Amino acid sequence: MNLLVSSSSQPAALLALEDGTCFRGRSCGAQGEAFGEIVFNTSMVGYQEIVTDPSYAGQIVTLTYPQVGNYGVNDDAMQSGGTFLRGLVVRDMCHTPSNWQSTASFPDFLRSEGVVAIEGVDTRALTLRIRSSGAMRAAISTTDLDPESLVARVVASPAISAHNYVADVSPRQERVVPAKAEALAAREAAGLPKLHVVAYDCGEKRGIEEGLAAAGCELTVVPFDTPAARVLSLAPDGVFFSNGPGDPEQASQTARAAEDILGKVPVFGICLGNQLISMAAGAQIEKLPFGHHGGNEPVMNLLTRKVEITAQNHNYGLVFSSMGPLVPELSGGERAHVRDLRPWVERGVAPVVQTERMGRVRLTHVNLNDGTPEGIFVRLMDGWRQREAGATSVSPDYLCIDVREGRAGHAEA
Amino acid sequence: MPKRNDLKKILVIGSGPIVIGQACEFDYSGTQACRVLRREGYEVVLVNSNPATIMTDPETADRTYVEPITVEAVGKVIERERPDALLPNMGGQTALNCAVALGEAGVLERFGVEVIGCDLDSIRTGEDRELFAAAMRDIGLDVAASGFAHTLDEALAVAGELGYPVVVRPSFTLGGAGGGIAHDEAELRLIAGQGLALSPTTEVLVEQSIEGWKEIEMEVMRDNAGNGIVICSIENLDPMGVHTGDSITVAPAQTLTDEELQRLRDYSLACLERVGVATGGSNVQFAVNPKDGRVIVIEMNPRVSRSSALASKATGFPIAKAAALLAVGYTLDEIVNDITRVTPACFEPSIDYCVAKAPRFAFEKFKGTSEELTTRMKSVGEAMAIGRTFEEALQKALRSLENDHMGLGADGAAQFDEERFGELVAKPTPERIYYVAEALRRGWTVAQLAEATRIDPWYLYRMADIVAAERAIAELGIAGLDHEHLLAAKQMGFSDAQIAWLTGSTEEVVRAVRQVLGVVPVVKTVDTCAGEFAAQTSYHYLTYEEGCASEHVEAAKPRVVILSAGPNRIGQGIEFDYCCVHAAYALRDKGYETVMLNCNPETVSTDYDTSDRLYFEPLTFENVMDVVEAERPTGVVVTLGGQTPIKLARRLEAAGVPIMGTQPESIDLAEDRDRFSALLDQLEIPYPPSSVAATPEEARQVARTLGYPLIVRPSYVLGGRGMAIVYSDAAMATYMDEAAHVTPDHPVYLDAFLEDAIELDVDALADGEACYVGAVLEHIEECGIHSGDSACCCPPFSLSDAFVEQVRQTTRQLALACDIRGLLNVQYAVKDEQLYVIELNPRASRTVPFSSKASGVPLAKCAARVMAGERICDLGLPPEDRDYAYFSVKEAVMPWARFPGSDVRLGPEMKSTGEVMGVAETFPEAYAKTRQAIDYEMPAQGSVFISVRDADKRTIAPVAFSLWQMGYRIVATRGTAKTLRAAGIPCDVIERIGEGHPNVLDEMAAGDVSFIINTPHGHDSRGDGEVLRSEAVARGISLVSTLSGATALLQSLASLRREESLPVYALQDLAEGRVS
Repeated sequence: MNLLVSSSSQPAALLALEDGTCFRGRSCGAQGEAFGEIVFNTSMVGYQEIVTDPSYAGQIVTLTYPQVGNYGVNDDAMQSGGTFLRGLVVRDMCHTPSNWQSTASFPDFLRSEGVVAIEGVDTRALTLRIRSSGAMRAAISTTDLDPESLVARVVASPAISAHNYVADVSPRQERVVPAKAEALAAREAAGLPKLHVVAYDCGEKRGIEEGLAAAGCELTVVPFDTPAARVLSLAPDGVFFSNGPGDPEQASQTARAAEDILGKVPVFGICLGNQLISMAAGAQIEKLPFGHHGGNEPVMNLLTRKVEITAQNHNYGLVFSSMGPLVPELSGGERAHVRDLRPWVERGVAPVVQTERMGRVRLTHVNLNDGTPEGIFVRLMDGWRQREAGATSVSPDYLCIDVREGRAGHAEA
Repeated sequence: MPKRNDLKKILVIGSGPIVIGQACEFDYSGTQACRVLRREGYEVVLVNSNPATIMTDPETADRTYVEPITVEAVGKVIERERPDALLPNMGGQTALNCAVALGEAGVLERFGVEVIGCDLDSIRTGEDRELFAAAMRDIGLDVAASGFAHTLDEALAVAGELGYPVVVRPSFTLGGAGGGIAHDEAELRLIAGQGLALSPTTEVLVEQSIEGWKEIEMEVMRDNAGNGIVICSIENLDPMGVHTGDSITVAPAQTLTDEELQRLRDYSLACLERVGVATGGSNVQFAVNPKDGRVIVIEMNPRVSRSSALASKATGFPIAKAAALLAVGYTLDEIVNDITRVTPACFEPSIDYCVAKAPRFAFEKFKGTSEELTTRMKSVGEAMAIGRTFEEALQKALRSLENDHMGLGADGAAQFDEERFGELVAKPTPERIYYVAEALRRGWTVAQLAEATRIDPWYLYRMADIVAAERAIAELGIAGLDHEHLLAAKQMGFSDAQIAWLTGSTEEVVRAVRQVLGVVPVVKTVDTCAGEFAAQTSYHYLTYEEGCASEHVEAAKPRVVILSAGPNRIGQGIEFDYCCVHAAYALRDKGYETVMLNCNPETVSTDYDTSDRLYFEPLTFENVMDVVEAERPTGVVVTLGGQTPIKLARRLEAAGVPIMGTQPESIDLAEDRDRFSALLDQLEIPYPPSSVAATPEEARQVARTLGYPLIVRPSYVLGGRGMAIVYSDAAMATYMDEAAHVTPDHPVYLDAFLEDAIELDVDALADGEACYVGAVLEHIEECGIHSGDSACCCPPFSLSDAFVEQVRQTTRQLALACDIRGLLNVQYAVKDEQLYVIELNPRASRTVPFSSKASGVPLAKCAARVMAGERICDLGLPPEDRDYAYFSVKEAVMPWARFPGSDVRLGPEMKSTGEVMGVAETFPEAYAKTRQAIDYEMPAQGSVFISVRDADKRTIAPVAFSLWQMGYRIVATRGTAKTLRAAGIPCDVIERIGEGHPNVLDEMAAGDVSFIINTPHGHDSRGDGEVLRSEAVARGISLVSTLSGATALLQSLASLRREESLPVYALQDLAEGRVS
């Protein structure tokens, strides 16, 4: 809200970055302080989905679209039971929204959720700063308005990789989500069997769960630290590893479970889940310079040759070359790995590597913006069953490619 | 997939003349397409009848045909050039219709031409409402309940079932021409009647009204691999019921939730898939019920459109360029995003600013027509503005319109009709937005306004915020505005002029205060990706932010700022943009870093690769100074963008800005009537006697001295705005009364009017030492018809070489006396072999593109080189007195059909929206081509109705005689018939309208009238003639309103009889003197 309209009702706030940059603004959420890793998201709408996405745990999110809160908030847009991010940075917050579904204004929602937020910031300048310096630690404060002091405290704060955020956001209990009746009926009509999927909830967005249910899967949603034995005892048709916050190295219990499950039943995952599966298959994980945060990440599906426009939010990715040597006869005759994977897109080849642990693994998806891997395909160990002939057959509806919130082109196994 | 190698030669069809609903956005798209196809190694053949386009410059395509976009002419081009493929989706509805017609005529099949970029069936599905509705139902999308009608009775029956109000949409007309909302049977009869007449298939759709729903447009692209992406969503501030071209629109959509928007995204892609758009850009329009989110598909255009041009400028994504590449086989992931140069074009742009577009209207030129905005587009241009908030973008867009408003208000510009205040808040008109703001000032609540206007409350809240900020600024006063509050005011989009008005200060003081307080704009970049990747292009806007994170980068080369022309309006349009684009090219070649400043999203000048840097900003003093201060150029070009930059020249010079070329002092000398008259006296160059008057009494005095008729006009206007020919004291009194409103600070000029004189337009170039006359254009219509509305011919067809030489000499004398450095345009009248100067424009004129094409000399480019210090003698120009092997004719295109109720007559006030050019070996043939290009019917038989004023009775006889000899039946009213019979010409007498039957209206209704010659009486503005002319327009019957026009028409009819069909010429051949 513009200063000339809001009079003096909004307290001052300060945003400080670890590189010493500070932005003055005004509070537009809860008052207080928030420390976290600063990232940006380039989606032009969907602010409520973003703040309720558990993947943002530990982070301060900058929205690049400058006017936020236009259509208020509504129950349908909640991606989880609440908010998990640390703080929010916007250019201009709307206090008088308009939409038939709106039940409250976004700043009121942030206040009720206790999210510290600042407006009046040149978010484009901030985004360019993050783009050039990479993700940084940062803080928003309505109490400490002294730049020097706040920067010093940011520098002293812990890094995001030092904490297991998955443990913070994952549920404590197992629960069952039934398949959508109409989807089930459709599967039956097509002569397809009922599918049971176990989903590791590392901070899952509701949209993904709904996508799976809408595809006709019965889901058993389990906590992040559920042992592999328990999951296998449920005899699932597939195991899903969800998105989630933070460094995959911190989610070691889930990573171990993935190792034990991989090869025994079909598995698939997105974002953090994909990283965990890749680690289980022997891949190294790296921190991406800027991460992928936005609603418009173009991903080439090397198998269908179609581009999928995906919504993503992750800071880490696998290193394809670390999985093993290329299999030339399945990789267009190529023997040498490339760091930027876009040449595979140009050649129209989905290369295959020979891994130590999991046999042959195929690269299926490449991010067209930066040439990073977005999807791999790991064959089942026991007997080359028909199920995995193509990416789409592994999971009903190629799960993650569904539009809207489920749009996240991350791999399966 | 890589590009297709089986295609070598591609035919591109343009959109023809600028008309309402189809403007220079298609020059932008067509130019992009031609360039990129050539870069890919294809040979490009182009057909477009509009000379004022960059696409018809001989260097844009390999083979350029400035010919009518008709099956006949394009068919000839195909026969001659034998292209492998036809790309029809760059030239608007005109090109698509032509492609369909070529297909139906079997031409494409006969010559083996493949249609690329779209297929004819999908065009049909997209455009035919019945097929489209069925297709949408197929994929489960709702369309408004509707029924088709082919007669008035059918329309009434459908409406009876649906219930009123209903929307009437004629099939296959562009810009929704002939459509409207009918609230009752009487309205339906009127609207459906017009719609049926205008639809080429005599078909209208009568549809359930969804007036008041949100109107959303999605700009979508698809490739042949099936990849689909959404480039941009655009929301109309005005709800359904106002044509999107007449609405204030906003990108991205502001009031939809993520889920609602994603749903529209899915629907748009499904729609493309179903309609069968193989590749390219399309536009899908939706209505969204604000109460429950219900969605209805309104229409889709399987081609680039006005909205896609807007979406391109709003996001930086070059839709037309990408569409051309997709048409030749590439897929989206194979095209590189020009702006980042690292990411592919296959992504959905994300923007971090708000874009507002505001339409520009010209109702003041069409008195008598209703100003209510409907589903039928009436705006003549648009301005786009970029801000970090909607509030900022809206205010910038409104002041970009150059209609005296400096924003949403707070500028003293609005006058409110107190008696009809409530009505004018509720009713969409060009002024409605200001009424809404005023209502907020007067204490109306958002809820009340939402009820009255159906504008979404979100927009009303934002306007309420602007109004609240106005109040806060006024309360703080100039002294109370500290850094923080002044910054907040600028972030709300207030101009310095508005802040000055609110605080009782001046613009200069506000600017000075701002600079002292450090409230200066920062340069931001349009990069398609909200800052995620570094931008390689310099497409900028200015805004205000805390901190000073400007993205301005110093250039190594000296910079030149080119001020373009702003929104299109009648009198100032694409022609000026054309000149600015040429200057950008020429100055870049000269080693400058070129900086373009403009706010018109339809143009080539606002393409980010036309100049080195582009600033999308209003052309106000404040914004120009901001850009100048950011760029610190070595020169600013003010003489190529029409009157807009010329008006700023003095202030810029006073502020220390270096002006390139002709200096403000010279501009003033030429534009100040007194100074210029004195100069003419001194040079002993004749001009019509003239005087000035500030009051009605003074005007009468002048009339007594000079005698009637007088041509009267306010000072400093363009396009003859407010200009009239006055024949009597009574008319003078009326004029003076009305003129006071046009420009209150300036007096009125009165010139003796030279009746029946020939008018000449001369475009020339001067460098201080020499003057080169580029073209002498002879007008077809006599003096008194605005030069912009008159047809003209180059070289002159009725003047001797010696006389033309005299014209050149006089022009030379004037150019040097005024010390012009660059382009000038002189208008002359020739009466009794005496040459009179009417006016000198010390700048590029509207006719520069035509003159350049007719003469083969790129005048605007030459002017830029002269401004950069080159001498005319070094430019290698051809001799002025060379013989032309061909005639070029320019004809104006009138928008009569859009403004029912206003009188259809040519006069001293310009009313045309565009122009066409015809090239042929003789004048009549060239003229005939222009008639075909405008789509005027010229039936070879039938009746010709003749009714002329007394002054023309002597000269009408030979015209009528020839028509009779050619086999036409002559019909006339009693007075004219008497003259004709006396001359021995058989003719049938019919009654005057209102005096009995049969009269000419009956004849027209019976379909017997081929065309009409009707010269209006000087002082009869109402009456028979007006009814006759409106009826002719409604029925699409050609009407000639001047005798000189009738003579030219007669000659061209005769030439058409001699030739089976007219040969076509490529400009490239003409340049080399190969005519046939």
